[in-house]
Amino acid sequence: MAISEVHAGRSYPPTTPYQVSAAKIAEFATAIGDDSSSYRGAEPIAPPTFVAVISSPAWELMFDDPELELTLSRIVHGDQRFSYVRPLRTGDVVTGALTIDKVRSRGAVEIISASVEITTVGGEPVCTAQATFMHSRGEAA
Amino acid sequence: MSVALLEGLEVGSALPSLTVRFTRERLVRYAGASTDFNPIHFSDHFAAQMGLPGVIAHGMLTMGTALRVVTDWLGDQGTVRSYFVRFTRPIVVPDDDAGAEVTFSASVAAMAGPSVTFAIEAVFDDQKVLGAARAEVDLGA
Repeated sequence: MAISEVHAGRSYPPTTPYQVSAAKIAEFATAIGDDSSSYRGAEPIAPPTFVAVISSPAWELMFDDPELELTLSRIVHGDQRFSYVRPLRTGDVVTGALTIDKVRSRGAVEIISASVEITTVGGEPVCTAQATFMHSRGEAA
Repeated sequence: MSVALLEGLEVGSALPSLTVRFTRERLVRYAGASTDFNPIHFSDHFAAQMGLPGVIAHGMLTMGTALRVVTDWLGDQGTVRSYFVRFTRPIVVPDDDAGAEVTFSASVAAMAGPSVTFAIEAVFDDQKVLGAARAEVDLGA
């Protein structure tokens, strides 16, 4: 069955643990054009939006869920909120666990609200990433 | 609390704006750094298939770059508590040296003790590409 309101509350197992490295932080900072010394050196913190790197595989679990019948090319990222407990740091080993919070239908579009709880493998909360995705149904005119 | 940063700051105060050129090179860098390999961000023929006017920048690249206006000001004097953006328009990035010029700005929307909330704007081609963007920073951390 295609995605609908009944999928609110559906959750996915935590993503494979991801170890935050100084090299990856520096690579990400360079990609957003940020030359801050906070993101360089042996033990940097990560730029705030680095949490997207952890969120992406959690989003993919939902996008690839056969039960939801989503088509990746019909999904648009509508909005994004990050709520931080603390910055990610080199050496953190973190996972993201996604829950579908809400599904609304508006015409030929499903509006999906999903939260990814990013925690260390020790269970310490780091960030909540709340996204809204719009999925257009293919059969709609 | 970082008293020096708060001095003279009031609702409406603007931070120095930032103008960035998004080129194809920047998109490829961000794809690698973020692991978002959706081909609409690097392939002209795929973007055309999707009905897009051209290759478009990752929304998360725009979101990450926009926050630099705030974090450049903040330095290591505090932390970002939350950050929200709505992705309202795509940024088309041509395959040339000029790329797409985007201007980011931020002004104080609210202040409460050590917490400052900034309203952030991103303008490309005379149009806003982010909606309702807000970042809350904590200077007491």
